[in-house]
Amino acid sequence: QSQKADKREKPLTKVVIRRLPPTINKETFLNQISPVPPYDYFYLVNGEAALGENSFARAYINFVSPNDVFDFKEKFDNYVFLDHKGNEYAAVVEFAAFQKIPKKRNKVRVDPK
Amino acid sequence: MHQFIRKVLYQDLQKNNIDKIMRLVRKLNWNDEDVAAYTIKCLTNAHNVKYYNIRCLANLLAGLVAYQEEVGTKVVDGVLEDIRLGMEINLPKYNQRRVAQVKYLGELYNYRMVESADVFKVFYSLITFGVSLDPYVTSPLDPPNHLFRVRLTCVLLETCGTYFSSGSSKKRLDYYLTFLQDYYWYKKSLWGEAFPPTLEHIFKETIMTLRPKLKMCQSYEEAQKEVENIRIALGVENIGHEAKTDEDGLDTIAE
Repeated sequence: QSQKADKREKPLTKVVIRRLPPTINKETFLNQISPVPPYDYFYLVNGEAALGENSFARAYINFVSPNDVFDFKEKFDNYVFLDHKGNEYAAVVEFAAFQKIPKKRNKVRVDPK
Repeated sequence: MHQFIRKVLYQDLQKNNIDKIMRLVRKLNWNDEDVAAYTIKCLTNAHNVKYYNIRCLANLLAGLVAYQEEVGTKVVDGVLEDIRLGMEINLPKYNQRRVAQVKYLGELYNYRMVESADVFKVFYSLITFGVSLDPYVTSPLDPPNHLFRVRLTCVLLETCGTYFSSGSSKKRLDYYLTFLQDYYWYKKSLWGEAFPPTLEHIFKETIMTLRPKLKMCQSYEEAQKEVENIRIALGVENIGHEAKTDEDGLDTIAE
């Protein structure tokens, strides 16, 4: 029972930055949002070309401290990112609907296949 | 390489060869960033799989996470994003895709890739996100004449609703069905006689399959009253009638 309660009360730390330019790359993105508060998980997904004008990149960051989430949102929600052609993309920052992140293992397990 | 991944997942995958395909997918070079990203994208895009094979894709993924753990969370992130983006764009040309993604989410729940709380988040977002329950305020995200969200909700209920049959998740579903009927009757009151009978049938059928004994609301007023009763019972009646209420209501239900 108490374990269950712990689980629920855990603060949300995984954030998604949505509606980014579809082809933005990791370095450019991280540069634009630097300095980033300490985080332990990050990945970027490029937009699906098939979606045309509805194609957006998105990035996930898991912050170490829940307090950093609010400043980050304050700073980058609605922040306008530019693609290489100069098109504007107003980003949306919110808690990720799915808060789980992969467990970190000390040893990288190799799939024996 | 991309072609191979697509063929294996979208053409070959069937109920009887999941193990075989799994071995192939495990053999991919997951250290290659491009291959990994592309495979994750393909595993996310359930609409490219035949509808009745979506379950197999979920099954495959559930097996794969034992070896490639982070693939699981990335695919779930992707599916949830797709469902959300579908609501934001709200174009009929994506309807098939949206049905497939919602179905996929349900199957991912059945294979224990997501928890019931995650599913309920989507359940509630389907009837609240960008929804206006005021006939004078038209929301572009869910215009009064759009009924597609009802259909999506039915798909999700149909796929995994039977598993919300005990304990707190049973209670949560009971509450949800009340909110859902409120939404349904609101739409129905706007449509009046013109409301499509097929959808009415699907809606009733879906709920009756899950809760055969439930006495369904017969009018918008009745549904509203039921919702009000829940709000009072949970002590959240003072909170506004916005989406937030539902989330707060949800938290209370979880207690």
